[in-house]
Amino acid sequence: MKRALEWMLRLGLAALFAYAGVIKLIDTRNFSTEIANYHLLSALAPWLAVTLPAIEVALAIALVIAPVRWRRAASLAIAMLLAVFTIAVAQALARHINISCGCFGSASSPLTTLTLLRDLGLLLAAIVLMALTRRGARTPGPAIDSGR
Amino acid sequence: MATLLRAFALVVAGALAGLAFNAVRKERVSLALVQESTQCEGAAAAVLIDPRETASMCSRADVVIADTRPESRFAEGHVAGALHLPCDARGEVASSAMARLDGARTIVVYGERTEDARPVAETLLRRRPGADVRVLDGGFEAWSRAGLACASGACNGDCAGKP
Repeated sequence: MKRALEWMLRLGLAALFAYAGVIKLIDTRNFSTEIANYHLLSALAPWLAVTLPAIEVALAIALVIAPVRWRRAASLAIAMLLAVFTIAVAQALARHINISCGCFGSASSPLTTLTLLRDLGLLLAAIVLMALTRRGARTPGPAIDSGR
Repeated sequence: MATLLRAFALVVAGALAGLAFNAVRKERVSLALVQESTQCEGAAAAVLIDPRETASMCSRADVVIADTRPESRFAEGHVAGALHLPCDARGEVASSAMARLDGARTIVVYGERTEDARPVAETLLRRRPGADVRVLDGGFEAWSRAGLACASGACNGDCAGKP
């Protein structure tokens, strides 16, 4: 059961991050504008727009094909990214900044409380995955991963 | 600790890949840090808004569209119902414009192009922290290109800019 849940979370988060990363890589210029619209670190928007999508794709790949210790690290990185995204969304909502969330490039929807709830749900999923991956690493049995 | 270091390594590897990809792609993004405008005093960056989205908000009484271009350009043609609010507005022109903005919930400012209106938007944001001030993406050029409603002559009040 836990194994199935781990696989589901792994594949789900990997698919989501890969999609989000690729779609933002296609239109980096627009993503840069969307980051600047958050009014947080606006001066760094071009740097974030160029690096964030590639980081998302790299973490998605690591989540699927990397050995268990690197998968755990990818889950941790995803959880940290999602925590940052959640804070950015929360501050924009608190300041009543009416913007597109920018989460999925041109396919993004306006920022609402639902966006915040979705980010919190994803953050929870990443934390659960990290915990499950840790258990998986400690469980003796058939060596699916060598651990490096 | 090791997991944290690995997570950091993955993020750095991804960031480097992103920088490399940007360096080789045709439509690369300039990595120059965004500078605050010096034309007017700047505060925060204003939110951009699409011309068609602006046109759809046009009939709302709590939305004011402000043209930041010089008077001659405003007289040649402007967004229907737009208020004239150039960056260098002073005295009575400025105070009457600001009085009209007082009742607005959303203020959309535009210039010839996107960047032209930013100084005015930033000045408005500095004076009204937290206000919903937006910059028309692409400016009046984009508005005209989209075939949205325009007017000429002095501003006559009511907005008739629905697409």
